Amino acid sequence: MAVKEILQYPDQLLKTVCAPIEKLDAETDAQLQDLIDTMVASGHSVGVAAPQIGVPRRAVVVDVSKSKLGRDNNHGLLVMVNPEILEKEGEETMREGCMSVPDYTGNVTRAESILVQFLDRDGSDRVIRANGFEAVAIQHELDHLDGLLFLDRVSNLKTDVYRRKK
Amino acid sequence: MTHFALTIIGRDRSGIVSQVTEILYQLGCNIADSSCSILGGQFAMILLISNPAIKEKSDFGDAFTPLEESGLSVFVRTLKPGGETRSQLEGDICLISVYGADKPGIVYQVAKELGDRKVNITDLNTKLIGSETRPVYVMMLEAVLPPEMSEDDLKTIMDRLKGEMQVDISVRSITPVEL
Repeated sequence: MAVKEILQYPDQLLKTVCAPIEKLDAETDAQLQDLIDTMVASGHSVGVAAPQIGVPRRAVVVDVSKSKLGRDNNHGLLVMVNPEILEKEGEETMREGCMSVPDYTGNVTRAESILVQFLDRDGSDRVIRANGFEAVAIQHELDHLDGLLFLDRVSNLKTDVYRRKK
Repeated sequence: MTHFALTIIGRDRSGIVSQVTEILYQLGCNIADSSCSILGGQFAMILLISNPAIKEKSDFGDAFTPLEESGLSVFVRTLKPGGETRSQLEGDICLISVYGADKPGIVYQVAKELGDRKVNITDLNTKLIGSETRPVYVMMLEAVLPPEMSEDDLKTIMDRLKGEMQVDISVRSITPVEL
């Protein structure tokens, strides 16, 4: 139950493949709450992955419902443990920025629609279809669990140096 | 620390980048920002460089002479303090693509509409495509809108221009998403 500091590259934890979560115990639940608290406290963020707060385990939180791009098409606050993408469809390019790579943005092409399976905070198995911005946000956060930053997926460096809009 | 803008252009061949950067490395120069591209048969490099020991242009001496001797044109510009940092641009970022049958003034007319409205062009590329008998001009530009201008305002302006110039123009927002 705390707002954690967001790690920034070159912290090597951000390049770590995270371990699956075996048990949803009290410690894990506290870490999930930290993720939510950190996401909310950062104000402009629509998602945080566990390794970004120094926890190399497979959990992310995503909530695009407060953002202009995602507010009409979303599942609200998603707490995702051991998430896995089952299906990908379509393509969409967005210029992404990441709190772990400040002051840098890049064009990334991702699936427009995904089917994703995960355990929620209570340990129930869920499968949802996410589209548009929510799908992009989930894919971005899930990449963190495999040690991938959006820099690994940028298609063109040339014009990708704008400061992100706060 | 004084920053310099170094621009280099010459007929494209392999090895230009390594030739240039070897000299910079041996001078102990930092490359803070750079963009290099091929235009037609020419390779062009633009680099912002700095070195604590180099205060003015003349300090480079004849370091770039080998480049000139190998057929490249070299120009060094001394930046005023702060000239190496980008000013914070607040508005929406849009990608404007313009294409149509080639004719004089495509770039100018679009740029004038934007410039007159304080829209800041931050990236611009053009290319002539199509066949010799039916050339097509393509322009892609990125621009930061002034805070009071919306994407829709820009679309309205560009729609009018599209009719006047008989070219196709599309506008889309590419403002970065925060993740």
